[in-house]
Amino acid sequence: MDHKMSEHDHAKMQEPSIEEMEIRGWKRKMMWAWIFTIPIALLMLGERLLGFEPFPDIVMHIIILILAFPVIFITGWQTIKGGLRGLFTFYFNMDSLIALGTLIAYFSGLSHIFFKNGDYSGVSAMIMAIFVTGKYIETKARGQATQEIKKLLELGAKKARILRGKEEAEVDISELKIGDIMIIKPGEKIPTDGIVVRGESAVDESMISGESLPVEKGKGNTVIGATLNQDGILYVKATKIGSDTFLAHIINLVEEAQGTKIPIQRLADKVTSIFVPTILIIAVLTFIAWFYFTGDINRSLGIGISVLVIACPCALGLAVPIALMVGSGMGSKRGILIRKGEAIQTMKEVKIFVFDKTGTITKGKPEVTNIYSKVKENYLLDIAASLETLSEHPIAHAIVSKANVKKYGKVTNFSIVRGKGVIGKIGSNDVVIGNRSLMTDKNIKYEDFDKNIKEFESQGKTVMIVAENKKALGIIAVADAIKEDSAQAINILNQRKYKTVILTGDNELTARAIAFQVGIKNVIANVLPEDKAKKVEELQKYGMVAFVGDGINDAPALKQSNVGIAMGSGTDIAIEAGDIVLVRGSLRGVIAALNLSQATFKKIKQNLFWAFGYNVVMIPLAIAGILNPIFAEVAMALSSISVITNANLLRRIRI
Amino acid sequence: MKKVKVLIQGMHCASCASNVERSVGKVSGVKSCSVSLMTRKSIIECEDNVKEDDLKKAVARAGYHVVSIEK
Repeated sequence: MDHKMSEHDHAKMQEPSIEEMEIRGWKRKMMWAWIFTIPIALLMLGERLLGFEPFPDIVMHIIILILAFPVIFITGWQTIKGGLRGLFTFYFNMDSLIALGTLIAYFSGLSHIFFKNGDYSGVSAMIMAIFVTGKYIETKARGQATQEIKKLLELGAKKARILRGKEEAEVDISELKIGDIMIIKPGEKIPTDGIVVRGESAVDESMISGESLPVEKGKGNTVIGATLNQDGILYVKATKIGSDTFLAHIINLVEEAQGTKIPIQRLADKVTSIFVPTILIIAVLTFIAWFYFTGDINRSLGIGISVLVIACPCALGLAVPIALMVGSGMGSKRGILIRKGEAIQTMKEVKIFVFDKTGTITKGKPEVTNIYSKVKENYLLDIAASLETLSEHPIAHAIVSKANVKKYGKVTNFSIVRGKGVIGKIGSNDVVIGNRSLMTDKNIKYEDFDKNIKEFESQGKTVMIVAENKKALGIIAVADAIKEDSAQAINILNQRKYKTVILTGDNELTARAIAFQVGIKNVIANVLPEDKAKKVEELQKYGMVAFVGDGINDAPALKQSNVGIAMGSGTDIAIEAGDIVLVRGSLRGVIAALNLSQATFKKIKQNLFWAFGYNVVMIPLAIAGILNPIFAEVAMALSSISVITNANLLRRIRI
Repeated sequence: MKKVKVLIQGMHCASCASNVERSVGKVSGVKSCSVSLMTRKSIIECEDNVKEDDLKKAVARAGYHVVSIEK
């Protein structure tokens, strides 16, 4: 375990340094390349524009050859080496084109001495210098695109202050163990996930959830590692460490999403994979054709080199991943985690938004609001709580906390009827608690309560009937408060002409009442948990469906839908189920995710258009002999830089 | 089946990423390999008996260097 941990941290810490090393490496190469290339450029320009020739022709060529040598073979060595190896092993890459282009150009200078052919050795240095400069700018810009993710990686605390006996001790985060009591002073970062055991404070969770208001924390509340304690001292028992923490999960999820492919990318990937060999063939054919028709070896050579260096698979290959990177980085800052890149594309096609009720539209913390009973209220609550204390359902929790029983009755033969209620025996009495459907199943009459049940249900409450020995004794109404911004979010969806649907296990009346309060037009009620996915499938006949649920029992529906949006309420995030996870359990996040997907996808399309367009226009120009090799190389460098810059512009969009 | 994350150095263009995917994909037992040029990471799904060394060799064959492997 320790071993695994350290390896994990190791990799994380190395990552930014690889990037920095790369940037620094390119920068150094760039400087050296230009130190030798600028004199070459001056000599060449002087000769061409002013007819200025300080040396005899042959000396001039030799000076240029000498100056160009370090540019090609020292600063460009890695490119040449990688490129040539690619040619021999058939793992072609960008370098293969540049290596071939510059080498041919350089050797044309050598052969000039003997054959008086055209000398492109000066050009070769310029191509390499421009290429290296382009790479430097590109690597830097790429680093910028990953800035949010990098911030996420650096978010974790490095040290923790823990209680050892009565003493406080500062330990490295890697030495922290589950069960340690951490002391967090005002202004300090909470080192890892845990439960508050003492103290009260407001905690700023914006870095994880995007929620700007601090959250009040007290004894028994869970806190998330890397969030910021604000005004009080907190004593927190560590519950998760290392790669199990919420932060580690988020990082993992965001990183994995980068490897997922978006359908629109497929064509670009296909083109990229055959790009280099194709260009090699085109370059050779171009050279042969020009030579055949003009007989001018010098011109043909120049055009061949232009074709080699203008073609760049980079813009094409980067177009989609770079936009996805910036988009998902922006999302992660706002508590929207894109798990599958595909969701960005699919989101565009979505016509129907389906919402789970409990925990999605509502807070998921139901409270008992009304009790109507033929027997003593306390008795009703006692037997209800005795059974419900064995269930994990939110409604059960509501009843148990309302009853506040000191001593529960001993329950035997307990069982849960999924989506309906619970059954059990207290002493010799058969107790059944559940909805109407369960009562009908058990042949229990509840007509006496019908009026009250309907009344509560039309207020959006869920009603449980409590029966003992086949006789209904009373009813307990439970209401689950609607989240503050549910109505606002659904309103926006309605305005944008999306179909909104509520899908719930509750009965029609309750569901309609809730739907009415938040502005949802369509209600599908009385759905058993296992049938949710089937209902989603039926809805898919009318168009693509996005399902919004809180992830635990909604998992099949999240999977079935075209875009599954999981509400990750705090630490109990249901990571595996959704395509998009909203860290903050607010429906506003659905709108933000929708806006983000649309904006990101637009960028992706723009980028692909530019990247394809560039190659489609420039390669024929090069073949036609209109572009000189130096301009070709400048254009090539600009193409990938422009794609990255365009993606970085995504940040300007408000979501 | 296991999933490993490999940090790779030296990839600097889009063809590089597809080269790694192609080379690692040829290792027997590897089910899928997706490379992100942006995070410099490759996520490889493979049988449990696939050796780390074989993965490293496959990356090297395409001309790149494995910095670290995490499980």
